[in-house]
Amino acid sequence: MTQTLITESKVLDALRSVMDPDLHRDIVSLNFIRNMKIDGESVSFDVNLTTPACPVKERLREQSRQAVIAAIPGVKDVRVNMTAEVRRPPAPETSRIKGVKNIIAVGSGKGGVGKSTVASNIAVSLAKSGAAVGLLDADIYGPSIPIMMASSGEPEVSNQIIQPVTAHGVKLMSMGYLSGEMPLIWRGPMAHKALQQSLLGVNWGELDYLIVDLPPGTGDVHLTLVQTVPVTGAVIVSTPQDVGLQISMKTLRMFQQTKVPVLGIVENMSTYVCPHCGGRDDIFGHGGARKAAETLGIPFLGEIPLDPAIRKHSDGGRPVVLAEPDSASARALSEMTGALAQQISIQAFRTIPLSIIEE
Amino acid sequence: MLTTPEERATPAEIRKKSGERIAIRWQDGHESALGARYLRGLCPCAQCVSEVTGQRMVSEEHIAPEVSIEAARTVGNYALHFSFSDGHTTGIYSFDYLRRICPCPACSAAGHGLGA
Repeated sequence: MTQTLITESKVLDALRSVMDPDLHRDIVSLNFIRNMKIDGESVSFDVNLTTPACPVKERLREQSRQAVIAAIPGVKDVRVNMTAEVRRPPAPETSRIKGVKNIIAVGSGKGGVGKSTVASNIAVSLAKSGAAVGLLDADIYGPSIPIMMASSGEPEVSNQIIQPVTAHGVKLMSMGYLSGEMPLIWRGPMAHKALQQSLLGVNWGELDYLIVDLPPGTGDVHLTLVQTVPVTGAVIVSTPQDVGLQISMKTLRMFQQTKVPVLGIVENMSTYVCPHCGGRDDIFGHGGARKAAETLGIPFLGEIPLDPAIRKHSDGGRPVVLAEPDSASARALSEMTGALAQQISIQAFRTIPLSIIEE
Repeated sequence: MLTTPEERATPAEIRKKSGERIAIRWQDGHESALGARYLRGLCPCAQCVSEVTGQRMVSEEHIAPEVSIEAARTVGNYALHFSFSDGHTTGIYSFDYLRRICPCPACSAAGHGLGA
């Protein structure tokens, strides 16, 4: 009996049938396949995804394995190793923070919607999945990230460069550090300077994602951010309430005007589940953000329940995705982060490099 | 072929032709050539356009004919910034605005959309 020879090109041909569901291209032409080894009847290779937080990781692993087995007779064993490397959207080298691949803004129309809670849980979720993550608290009016991440230390400054504090595997910088116990009573130009320093004067090192927690609304800090660095995209946090949503729409338009892609809307303080009786109540309504996202053609990233545990762990300095990773709330936050990571990867592929050609 | 407003106001390529002009090819294929003096005269900053009345305070006839663009850079994802040889550096020209002020005969005939 003649044994068909297993070759690298045959394996690659087989893998061309496996599509990335977000980028709508096959995993071979996306250059995801690395380190292929063929040893007799055994095949092994890496599938190098665009984010370690990919929600369809296991599905792609199984599809890759099946594709090779189905297409090439004689293959006995396929080992698929899932790896990830966050891609950097193309942008002029001069206008970005060295070493930082993606800058993600988290905004809201009004205060009190849980924007900082959502931002800190996104950062910790991404870090848990293996990504290198930074979190910049740019909410000058109420910097709360240091409390939510239980970091009491002040960042060290050496040679005019700020060394970020690390908490729960995330590099932290807060504009609150610049003022200590004093409230920030800043005019626009002062806020502008402070944010520029917090972006460019910090030793972020190599980061896959830098999450920027913005102040509520639209103002100086937002403009400074979009003018100082190319922002990969923005996430809008809203409550299901109509009025909250209408104000969030203004934030959305601000990002659109400054050509920051809106990666999606998160509905926070969605359904309340009573911890005593298990009864459900939609205190602020329900589904409003999803409806708005559908109308506007913007991805809906998920609903985060109104759960006292989220608040408790944020106040305690250990975000719920770490403190109670198996709770329904933590799962909702992790799934939302996965959906966001997908949108970031899509955006990185969609961005067309823009630079000025000097003649 | 119909194009989206998004494509109309997103550059595909930006060239700085020495200090004389900026050439932009837009994603819908349209090309704009914007001279230094023309751009300087349509600066959208708060010194050149009154913040209260919206009235233009500085326009092309106030600008020396030999003005040039000493440096150009992108601002985030949405605009260009120019340093002019007369020392003026405060204008941020969004891509939407640059497309609206395209001086080509077709766009001029259609009106600049500047309310003028």
